Amino acid sequence: MAFRKRNVALTRSPADNTPSSTPSPPAAPLQPTPPPPGTRPSPIDGRPTTSTGTPSLDAILAGHAGLPLGNSLLIGESGTTDYAGALLRFYAAEGVVQGHRVHVVGMGEAWGRELPGIAEGRGKREEARERERMKIAWRYEGLGAHGSVRGPVSGSADARGEEVNVFCHTFDLARRLTLPVGAAAINYIPIPRTSGSPFTEILRNLQRQIAGSPPGSTHRLVVPSLLSPALYPATCANPSVILPFLHALRALLRKYSTRLTAMITLPLTLYPRTSGVVRWMEIISDGVFELSPFPYSHLESLATSAGTTKDEDRPQGMFAVHKLPVFHERGGGGSTEGLGEELAFTLSRRKFVVAKFSLPPVEGDTEAQEAAVREVAGGSAMPRKEELEF
Amino acid sequence: MPRIPVQLAPFVRAPNEALLLLTSTLDASASWLLCRFLCDALSPDRDEQQKDAKKVLLVSWLRDYDFWKQEVRKSTGLDLGGLRAQRKFAFVDGLSALFLADEVEKPRGLQQLPARPIPAKGPPGLHTLSSTSLDHASATITAALDALDPSSSTLVILDNPDILLAAVPALAPSDLTSFFLTLHTRPSVSQVLVHLQSDLALRTPSVPPQPLQIAQQNLLVKTAHMSAKVLGIRLLDTGVARDVSGVLRATVHKDSWTNIGTLGQMGDGRRGDAGLLEEKSLEVLYKVQGDGGVRVFERGAATV
Repeated sequence: MAFRKRNVALTRSPADNTPSSTPSPPAAPLQPTPPPPGTRPSPIDGRPTTSTGTPSLDAILAGHAGLPLGNSLLIGESGTTDYAGALLRFYAAEGVVQGHRVHVVGMGEAWGRELPGIAEGRGKREEARERERMKIAWRYEGLGAHGSVRGPVSGSADARGEEVNVFCHTFDLARRLTLPVGAAAINYIPIPRTSGSPFTEILRNLQRQIAGSPPGSTHRLVVPSLLSPALYPATCANPSVILPFLHALRALLRKYSTRLTAMITLPLTLYPRTSGVVRWMEIISDGVFELSPFPYSHLESLATSAGTTKDEDRPQGMFAVHKLPVFHERGGGGSTEGLGEELAFTLSRRKFVVAKFSLPPVEGDTEAQEAAVREVAGGSAMPRKEELEF
Repeated sequence: MPRIPVQLAPFVRAPNEALLLLTSTLDASASWLLCRFLCDALSPDRDEQQKDAKKVLLVSWLRDYDFWKQEVRKSTGLDLGGLRAQRKFAFVDGLSALFLADEVEKPRGLQQLPARPIPAKGPPGLHTLSSTSLDHASATITAALDALDPSSSTLVILDNPDILLAAVPALAPSDLTSFFLTLHTRPSVSQVLVHLQSDLALRTPSVPPQPLQIAQQNLLVKTAHMSAKVLGIRLLDTGVARDVSGVLRATVHKDSWTNIGTLGQMGDGRRGDAGLLEEKSLEVLYKVQGDGGVRVFERGAATV
């Protein structure tokens, strides 16, 4: 009987020349194929996801930290603003940068030329943010934006090597993206002026493009202002025209469930959410968001100029989550971050931020205002004694 | 570990020879409950009086086969692919080809031979709807039912047939309800479970009312009248809560429509309604967990 030393793994291969992978089982013959550029497996169930181009939107997609491939987002916006258009541009620009094929419905080349470029000179800001993060205890940081925990991880991974797999880039709305020369990066699908449904031709175009592309390629469908009278003929708003289109698009997304995503915006002022057609459109879509911009008021801008809040953080509207891809389809509801909380969005030059909504201090509340000012100044004011005692 | 929580069992266990209605809304999906229905019908270890498992035919107009396969495997551990091979389960796909014409395979150079009359035989137990007409649907369903193992009765699940009502203007609500009923009267079909959307925006007419809303409300109310049991899934009325996914309510008809004289010939002698009367209307809260499991609890008992 042989005596064996305890606490030693039994099956240790003798040719153990890779010290870094000791805990991994020896039988790993298949090197997993690297995911296509711009995609990564979801931390929840491993399905491939891609970035929407907006980190905070990625972060609220039910923990997948990205838009799962084969899914669509429907973003409704009320009013005359075009915040949702900014989301679309980030989404399209991210696709162009990642080498995905971007298909735009109903827009000309001018739209593509106006896509935001990659923000430059981010080093300083990033550094500052890194330093800021050092102050936050590690365990509390995880409680913050869920998906963004993973975002910087993959982003910092490129610090040691070359530019490997940046999942989500930072774009600058003031810059212009230089489209790759040669093969057209963006496929502009025109809306045909036919008597029948224009969507059949659009779908046919999309199908042809996907079928004609190499098998590993990833595609993004961008549909700005669906059903807007400026772009679409009047018959399109008929349920028998628009619903078959979305249903067919859903079928296409499921058919190419590892290659295609879609993002659609819808003017909610013309097509309110209380109408049956819009509800069906939402049911057929995988993710549904609603942007309700705040009306602009001079008083408000005066109030904030008094220093009650940081100008940058003043939200520009409410961001409502009605349905999340995969999560709601499986029957979930309730308890994911973002859902059930009041969310607000802020669009600045470089980013579209979706964050929890909190009202600024009331005008007459001088104490709170001072506290807010102190906060803006970086918390340099001396804390009071009772705050220090435990 | 039981595949279906004890509290959920009375909801999933359907009386034989019944039409059931399941309603859901945009933010409270019913697919998790449909998976439980599938599991309950397909599992052999049911109650004593129900020896053998049933067969299931799932007709889905909004969700694809891969979704159901993954969900059922994740939530209940059943392998739909294997059950398909045993002819205990069949799937009719109403999503992939209903409105999407397959334009891809079109070689321009050489013309293909004129369409061969042999229908493309897919894998067994998988059928595809390529038209919105109900005749086509019932023909496909008949073919799917005939291909199933004839030894036991079948549960037919219709998942979101109301998309047809919304997208096809020529279709009337009564066409769909008679479609449900004719399906139900087939000898091999024991239960029909219809899943419809019951969002407020679809039920209550806006100003001006849309024909789609009126039709949907019409269909919902008609189907609810015909059903022996109505299961409703909705969000909490008080809004979103952290540990509650939604509310599940079961409403049982005291006197099923099958007992009414004019319609009585449909269910004559096929069912004793003693079992039906024992059931009570119930309302519970549920929480679908990340791993696919579901927790069902009474109101006020959430912190277990």
